[in-house]
Amino acid sequence: MLEANDLCNYYAIDETPGISKRDSIIRNFDFLEDPDLIQKLIEFTNGNITTITFDIPQMHCSSCVWILENLYKFDNGVINSEVNFLNKTLSVKFREKETTIKKIVEQLDSLGYLPNLSLDTNRDDKLKNEFKRLYYKIGIAGFSFGNVMLLSFPEYLSYTDLVTAEFQNIFNWISLALSLPVFLYSASEYYISAFKGLKKKIVNIDVPITLGIFVLFFRSLYEMFIGGGVGYLDSMTALVFLLLTGKVFQNKTYDAMNFERNYKSYFPIAVTIKKDGKETTIPVDKLEVGQRIVVKNNELIPADAILISEKANIDYSFVTGESQPVEVFNGEMIFAGGKEIGQAIEVETVKEVSQSYLTQLWNSSAFNKKHESKIETTVTFVSKYFTFIILAIAISAFIYWVNTDVNLAFNAFTAVLIIACPCALALSTPFTLGNSQRIFGRNKFYVKNTSVVEKLAEITSIVFDKTGTITETLGSKIEFIGEKLSKDEQNLIKALVLNSSHPLSLKIASLLSFNKKLNIENYSEETGKGISGIINGKNILVGSRKFVSNKNIEENDISTNVYVSIDNKELGYFRITNIYRTGLKEIVSSLIKKYKLFVLSGDNEGEKMNLLNYFESEKSLFFHQTPHDKLNFINDLQNKNEKVLMIGDGLNDAGALVKSDVGISIAEDINNFSPACDGIMDAKSFKNIKEFIRFSITSKKIIIISFIISFMYNIIGISFAVQGTLSPVISAILMPISSISIVVFTTIATNFMAKKRGLL
Amino acid sequence: MNVEKFSYDNQIVKYFTIATVIWGIVGMTVGVLIAFQIYLPWLNFDLQFTTFGRIRPLHTNAVIFAFVGNGIFAGVYYSLQRLTKSRMFSDLLSKINFWGWQLIIVSVAVTYVLGITTSKEYAEAEWPIDILIALIWVAFGTNMIGTILKRREKHMYVAIWFYIATFITVAVLHIVNSIEIPVSLTKSYPIYAGVQDALVQWWYGHNAVAFFLTTPYLGLMYYYLPKAVNRPIYSYRLSILHFWSLIFIYIWAGPHHLLYSALPDWAQSLGTVFSLMLIAPSWGGMLNGLLTIRGAWDRVRDNPVLKFYVVAITAYGMATFEGPMLSLKNVNALAHFTDWIPAHVHVGTLGWNGLLTFGMLYWLVPKIWNTNLFSKKLATAHFWIATLGLVVWVVPMYWAGLTQSLMWKEFTPLGILQYPNFLETVLQIVPMYVIRSIGGSLYLVGAIVMVYNLFKTAQQGSFVANEAAEAPALIKENNDKFNSHRWLEKRPIQFALLATVAILIGGIVEFIPTFLIKSNIPTIESVKPYSPLELEGRDIYIRESCNSCHSQMVRPFRSETERYGEYSKAGEFVYDHPHLWGSKRTGPDLHRVGGKFSNMWHYLHMQNPRQMSPGSIMPSYPWLLEQKLNTELTLNKINVMRMLGVPYADGYENQAVADLQVQAEGIADDLLNSGIVVESDKEIVALIAYLQRLGTDIKVKPAENK
Amino acid sequence: MSAIIVLIGFSLFVALVFLGAYIWAVKSGQYDDKYTPSVRMLFDDNKIESEKDKHKNT
Repeated sequence: MLEANDLCNYYAIDETPGISKRDSIIRNFDFLEDPDLIQKLIEFTNGNITTITFDIPQMHCSSCVWILENLYKFDNGVINSEVNFLNKTLSVKFREKETTIKKIVEQLDSLGYLPNLSLDTNRDDKLKNEFKRLYYKIGIAGFSFGNVMLLSFPEYLSYTDLVTAEFQNIFNWISLALSLPVFLYSASEYYISAFKGLKKKIVNIDVPITLGIFVLFFRSLYEMFIGGGVGYLDSMTALVFLLLTGKVFQNKTYDAMNFERNYKSYFPIAVTIKKDGKETTIPVDKLEVGQRIVVKNNELIPADAILISEKANIDYSFVTGESQPVEVFNGEMIFAGGKEIGQAIEVETVKEVSQSYLTQLWNSSAFNKKHESKIETTVTFVSKYFTFIILAIAISAFIYWVNTDVNLAFNAFTAVLIIACPCALALSTPFTLGNSQRIFGRNKFYVKNTSVVEKLAEITSIVFDKTGTITETLGSKIEFIGEKLSKDEQNLIKALVLNSSHPLSLKIASLLSFNKKLNIENYSEETGKGISGIINGKNILVGSRKFVSNKNIEENDISTNVYVSIDNKELGYFRITNIYRTGLKEIVSSLIKKYKLFVLSGDNEGEKMNLLNYFESEKSLFFHQTPHDKLNFINDLQNKNEKVLMIGDGLNDAGALVKSDVGISIAEDINNFSPACDGIMDAKSFKNIKEFIRFSITSKKIIIISFIISFMYNIIGISFAVQGTLSPVISAILMPISSISIVVFTTIATNFMAKKRGLL
Repeated sequence: MNVEKFSYDNQIVKYFTIATVIWGIVGMTVGVLIAFQIYLPWLNFDLQFTTFGRIRPLHTNAVIFAFVGNGIFAGVYYSLQRLTKSRMFSDLLSKINFWGWQLIIVSVAVTYVLGITTSKEYAEAEWPIDILIALIWVAFGTNMIGTILKRREKHMYVAIWFYIATFITVAVLHIVNSIEIPVSLTKSYPIYAGVQDALVQWWYGHNAVAFFLTTPYLGLMYYYLPKAVNRPIYSYRLSILHFWSLIFIYIWAGPHHLLYSALPDWAQSLGTVFSLMLIAPSWGGMLNGLLTIRGAWDRVRDNPVLKFYVVAITAYGMATFEGPMLSLKNVNALAHFTDWIPAHVHVGTLGWNGLLTFGMLYWLVPKIWNTNLFSKKLATAHFWIATLGLVVWVVPMYWAGLTQSLMWKEFTPLGILQYPNFLETVLQIVPMYVIRSIGGSLYLVGAIVMVYNLFKTAQQGSFVANEAAEAPALIKENNDKFNSHRWLEKRPIQFALLATVAILIGGIVEFIPTFLIKSNIPTIESVKPYSPLELEGRDIYIRESCNSCHSQMVRPFRSETERYGEYSKAGEFVYDHPHLWGSKRTGPDLHRVGGKFSNMWHYLHMQNPRQMSPGSIMPSYPWLLEQKLNTELTLNKINVMRMLGVPYADGYENQAVADLQVQAEGIADDLLNSGIVVESDKEIVALIAYLQRLGTDIKVKPAENK
Repeated sequence: MSAIIVLIGFSLFVALVFLGAYIWAVKSGQYDDKYTPSVRMLFDDNKIESEKDKHKNT
């Protein structure tokens, strides 16, 4: 195709161009003919020419740019196409009569650049316009500032030069002309914000800034045209220019930090991919576009994908809040965040995993808890009174000096207004906690949002689930007790069990052999009980004894037993010996000094002796716990004013996880993401639990310190300002420096402490 | 289908490339010649057409406007077409640009040699050529803007912005600086005088450096460097920032050429501050360029083009650091008027402009002749020779500058000048001049090697005059509205005319206020206009470019007042159209020379300087003793001067020639008394009259030294 | 010294022209993408190029 269109340069341009094409799937783009959808996707049309912007995350090199901008060679209807490499978008302009969106998308797909067809493009445009406006303002402010400064030089340097006096008037008028756009336009956002705040009876930080600018401007007018002097227009334009530039720098700094967190953090979910007919698990951040993955019952679909299997039942409650499952057929799209209900399905991803998207869903789900952050309340309190205090100080300074030296009085007034900065209040918390969150992520502990870090510092009790939390699934021993299973029987059991993501199911599956793919119907899984399904007409049940054959279990059974029956005939059980995670003893001993520890298990008391080795007191061990029991237990603790951290596996303790102040689920190469939890911890990081809690406490301390630093800065700054020795320009420079330095301090402090604790 | 097929005009690139090479050799050869002349005065051949004063501006103009100028055009015409994916707006304008520019160069060469000059540095061309320059420049700009308007690539790459800035600013600079009233077809006087003329001249001079030697080359760097190394520019964002910050600041740095002069203090300091601010954007550009090669430094090893670029960009960094340093008052006090300044200039011109041009040529010629470079080895050899030449040129000049300056300033313990004889300080640095001339020769040799290499490359290649290309057109959404601009875009000549008119209107509108504002240089009562004879003598001084080697600005330092007399005051220059402050002291300052030496001394000195100052390196001017003074224009000159504000009485022009003859006879009689027989109508008499007038208006006892 | 007014006038005039150009550039989206142009200028789309590329070494 490249040769035919004379695009052989494609390979000359980059050494590793393009996307490798896997076995192609016949994708159906008919939905792109729907006029309503088309309306939503396009940016502009006049009936003749249409523009549409595609999101193409696959582009990664200069050859991609080149080929995408040469699209017109593949499709006559395309007028031109423009790449924005950093945003990974492609803007295509085409003639309606000669080609269609569907054809263009098919073309892109065949080249390996399937676009992501989401409807969320409006947000980007708004951001773009906002940025543009900021650049206009800075450009005008900078231009004016430079030239006004030039014209102010005579005043700085020669006092007796007669020549200067002649020109002073002309210079004043020119300075005024240059300053007007700055005063009226560039600084306008400060006025607007101050005004809006005042309307709501809130005095925000833009009020003193606005006041400062006004004072400089009108004072200058007075000085220049009535007082016969030179005014302060250079300071005014410099102030606005620096404020705006400071804003740009701040935004960029914040963006850089956010960017890091969103795209580089570890998201501890594993997916099962199908490679060369075999199934393996890989961490979700290694998932590539175009890969086939197996999604089992209750597992999350991590990225937009096309259904390969015949049918699927998708629960979009995570995304839309509706728990009514949607039936999806082969070839149709399933969106990230949906959960499969029923038997396992196979899908092929068409987009990269967007961890930020999943996190967004996670945070917006119905599981958000109420939390009263102590820090937040302090912040709100202080900021209310901060501006009033500043204004009071400024006015007092003015009154103090006005009889001695009017100039000094004005200087002091404006300087106080400008240098005072409550930035720490706004910045410390999000930056410190954000950085801690990032550090946790590096250590494979992914928390939902920053308030989790704060809450973690406050806990007093810790509740552990047993199976899958403090016990290992992968390393445990398994054996079948009963008559040896035939090949057919193994097939049937495994076929059933493969649809479940329960750790015990996986364990059983690993034991059995399998050689035929079988059709399954009526697959169903009941939490805490077992799974069932009809295969080849036979009814298979796997689970607790009560579930499988309505009998009670024998006493003195100390292992976890999973019973099996085919067509109501009990065949025996799988005995799985519990193996406790390495380092559990150390973890418990380190925690028990400070926290109250409890273990809740759905199992029988068989493990009691083993557990006592670790947990010492019988009173902290509870067995035969149903999910409801667990929930109540947490509730009781909280009624006693305990702050509870619950660590579970997210399968049958969802309710308890939600109820607890912090709910963490342990992930061990399985996809059991539960939106109920506040954080996911990789099993390998479990041993660091004490360090994580300790670090959260340290983070809080760092925030307090940064408050103190900001307070000191304000005290020192204001004490200089009231003396009138601080020029407004210097204040303008110091203000953004202070906010940036707070940010830098919190970042460095958290990083340093993390290094010291071995977390970085 | 909207793909348009067109072709790039390579023919015009070829023409400009050849012109660049030829004029490069010419300009450098003249440079080498004057470098030798400066310590071997016999190389002036005692002929007025080959004298140092007349040849030096030939060198400066040739290398700046002929070599760099054609280089700019070659580079711009090639890159602009490809960046805009469109052929040049008008082939006719391209040709006008080319032939017009060469005509300008030839005219300049002829006129300078004949002594037709305005004396203003880098703007020595007289008014008819100035007009021609304006016209050709507008043709260039129109062609360029037209191409940009009909481009097929929506985004304007940063190089294009630099080209636009060059065009607009140079247009304004040239027009403002060249406003002069003609006396005849070959003579004019600027409307500015004295201090004001100096300010305008150096506002122009420095901005010419900025917008002719720097911005277009930065544009070329942003195109040719990525192309040569096949990687994108390190930070495109930085280049955007670099461009806009540069363009807002550069205009103001001019006054740094006038420190310690009679320019008001505050204007001087302004120049200093803004010059310092320039370091940031300039170095931004340098870093952006050098960092583009990060990770590909190994390619520099076997690619001569990249070698040239790397040293060129580094030289740019050096020069743009040194410049602001030189604008600091204390540094400037030491360096001004010495050879340090040419050293600074040549770091920029030989290093930045020269080497970048060579690199560009080595890349461009094989490209448009569709072949490989004839010999990479020769190109690499050229690189080393050129770099060596550059160093050997520049280092001795730093040494010379410092040495001479320190000698000028040195006092004995008793408080008198250690080196009262200026010549002594000159002789001290002649060995440096010798070394410098070797450096220059090396540089020229390298360039000759390049000519051979490029010639053989062209020979083995096959030139394609029109390179086929295709690209989809840019469609504007509102096709229906009548767009006057687009109507204009299709008519190049009309566009050019309108552009000229626009620029001229802008210029005129700016101008009217000046005539309404009275100049307020504090006038000194005793300062009077030049007599007609002195005026003619002054014009001879200008004709022979005496100001190339002699300054007329005594600075307020004790070492200068001891040596020359009272320091120069602004009010003394009010009638100087143009100012003759000079920028270099190859010879001593002349502002207070009036009355210091006898007429005989001047006569013998001009006949052969070595008669009065043994060892002097000044050329001889025997033709001044032979040629008759032309007084046909004296009447016009008086009229024009009066128009410019010099208070000659009404009707004085009719009296002028008579007065001139009376004064001339007085001088001839005096010379006769000293034993020299000379007709009063010889040029030497006029020159002597002028020299004897210099600095005598304020009556201060002249210092007793030679 | 009235020349200084002239020079300031002209310089401001030129600077204003460029301010206008700056605003136009931001407005028309010239700086929406501050990266791709640096890559785009490296491409040579011509047929002649692809054949010559094999012989090229600069």
